[in-house]
Amino acid sequence: MASPLPQVLLDGLFAGGTYALMAAGMALILGVVKVINLSHGAFFTLGAYVAYALAGRGVGTPFAAAPLAAVIGFAFGVFLGKSFVNPVRSHPFALPVGTLACALLFEQAAQMVWGPHPLSVAAGAPWIGPGGLVIRRWGVIAFLSSAALLGGLKWVLSSRPGLPLRLIAEDEEIAGSLGMDVEAIRYLTFGGACAMAAAAGALLSPSGAVTPTMGRAPLLLSLVVVIVAGMDSVAAIFLLSIGLGIFGNACAWFLSPQWSYVALLATVCLLLSARPAGIVALAGRRD
Amino acid sequence: MVSLRGGTPPARSPWRGGGWLATGIGLLLLFPLSSPDAFFLDVFTTGFLLAAFAASWDVVGGVSGQITLGHALPFGAAAYSCALLTSFAGWPLPLAVAAAVLLAAVVGAGIGALSAPLAGPFVALLTLALGEIAHEVAVGHTFFSGPGGYAWGGEGGIPVALPWRDASPFSSYYAALVFLCLATFGMLLFARSNSGLILRAVAGSPITAQASGVPIARFKRLAFTVGSAFAGAAGAGFVLHVGRATATDLSLELSFQAATFAAVGGRGTIVGPAVAAIVLHVLFQGLSLPPSARVLLYALTLLVTLRFFPRGIAT
Repeated sequence: MASPLPQVLLDGLFAGGTYALMAAGMALILGVVKVINLSHGAFFTLGAYVAYALAGRGVGTPFAAAPLAAVIGFAFGVFLGKSFVNPVRSHPFALPVGTLACALLFEQAAQMVWGPHPLSVAAGAPWIGPGGLVIRRWGVIAFLSSAALLGGLKWVLSSRPGLPLRLIAEDEEIAGSLGMDVEAIRYLTFGGACAMAAAAGALLSPSGAVTPTMGRAPLLLSLVVVIVAGMDSVAAIFLLSIGLGIFGNACAWFLSPQWSYVALLATVCLLLSARPAGIVALAGRRD
Repeated sequence: MVSLRGGTPPARSPWRGGGWLATGIGLLLLFPLSSPDAFFLDVFTTGFLLAAFAASWDVVGGVSGQITLGHALPFGAAAYSCALLTSFAGWPLPLAVAAAVLLAAVVGAGIGALSAPLAGPFVALLTLALGEIAHEVAVGHTFFSGPGGYAWGGEGGIPVALPWRDASPFSSYYAALVFLCLATFGMLLFARSNSGLILRAVAGSPITAQASGVPIARFKRLAFTVGSAFAGAAGAGFVLHVGRATATDLSLELSFQAATFAAVGGRGTIVGPAVAAIVLHVLFQGLSLPPSARVLLYALTLLVTLRFFPRGIAT
C-alpha cells in the first residue's frame, strides 16, 4: 500500500462513528441523571463479550449481536440505575467511586468467565476498495447503524416523547411537579444509555482484541467528548467522536496501540486543566 | 489519644476507641509468638503496608475531601524510584528510600496543583487519568541493565537491590507494624493539627472556607503533598518487602482498593481505613482466592457499603 493514511482515516472514521453512540449515552446520563458514569466502559466491554459469545455459537452477524447486547445492557443498566445510582446520586464520594467499583467488578467477572487473554470476533471478509484500501464490512455496518441510531435519538429528543428528558435535564423539580415520575425516568434513561454503550461494544467487537479492560479507552473517549461537546448537540458529539476515533487510530498506527489510550488520558488531563469548570451543566446546575 | 487533640478538638471526635486500638496493636505484637505459618506473617506484613497506604488515602480523600482515584501514583512512583535508584544507579538503600519519599511528595504536590481548581467528580477524573498514564508508561517502558544486560521494566517490573539476602518473616512483620504505627501517628497528628482542621473545613464547604479567608488551593496542594508522601513511604516499604517494583503498584485497582478501605473503615478517621485494610486484606488473602476474585469481593464490599452508608461509616 502506498500510504497508510487513507486506511487509518477510514478505520478511525468507522470506529469514531460508533464510539459516538457510546458518548451520546454518556451525555444522556449526564444531562438527565446528572452523574458521571465511570462504569460506561464496562457496558461497552459487555457488548463485545456478548458478540463474542454469539459468534462462538455460530451467530456471527452484528445484526443479532448488537440488539442482544443492547437488551442485556439495558437490563443491567436499569438494575444499576435503580438500585445504586439513583439512591446515591447526590453524594460526591459514593458516585464516582461506586461506578468505578461496578466497572472493576465487571472487569474481574469477565476475566473469571472468559479469561484475561485477548479474544477475537471473526470480522468477515472485507471489501477491497480503490488503491488497495481495505473497507471492513463490520466497519461499514457499525458506522451506519450508529449513525442511524443517533439520528433516531436526535429525533426522539426533539419530539414529543423526548420532552420529559429535556424537562428533567432543564429543571427536575418542575418535571416532578408536573406529575412525571422523575426517578423512573432517571433509571430508564440510565439503562437506555448503557444499552447504547453495549450496542457500540457489540458493533465494534471485530475491530480488535476483546479483553476485560477494553472498555477503558472508549470510556475516556466519551468523557473527552462530553467535556468538549457538551450534551446538547448530538451532531457535535458525532463529529467530535469521529475526530477522536481518527486521532486514536492514528496514534495506534503510528506509535503503538497502547499510546492511543495514553493520548486520550493526556487529553482528559489537559482539558480538565484548561477548563477547570469542567462540564458546565454539572458544575452550574447542581444546587 | 486525648493528648493528640491539643487545643482544637474536631467537632466530632472521629476515633474514640483508643483502648481498643491499643489492644489491637498489643495482639498484633503478640501474634508472631504463636509461631504461625510464614505465609500468614507475610499476609499481615503486606496488610500493614496497605493499611498505611489506605490511611494516606484518607488524608487526601477523607480529611480533605479530595476524592482521588490515582493514589497509586505516588505509591508506585516511590516503589519504582526505590527500585531504579538501588538497582540501576547503585544508590545506598536509605538514600534511595529518602529520595523516593521526596519524589512521592513532589508528585503529590503536582497532582494537587493540577486538581486544586477542580471541583467534585473532576478531581476523581483527573487523578484517575494521571494514575492510568503512569501505569501505561510503566507497563510499556523497558529499562536496560547496561550493555548486554537483560531487560527490566514492562510486565516483569524492576528488582530492588537489597542489602540483606533473606529478611526473616518476623523482622519484616515487626518492621512493617512499627512503620504502620509511626505513619498512622504522623497522619493523625497532621489530621488534628490546625492545617488538618482547615482541610476538614475545605472538605465540608469550599465556598465557606474561601469566604473565611482560607487559601483553599494551597491547602488542597498541602493535603495531596502530605498524603502522597505517606503513600510514597508505604510504597517504599512495600517494594522493600516484595523486592520488586511492578506495574501493579501503579494500577487503578490499587487506587481503588485504598478508596474501598477508606469507605469501609470510615472516611476522615485515618485509623478506620487502616484497620479496614488489615481486616479485609487478611480476610480475603487468607482465604487464598485468585486475585481477580479478590478485587471482585472488594468491589462488592464497597458497593454495599456505599449503598447503605453513602455519607460514610463514620458520620
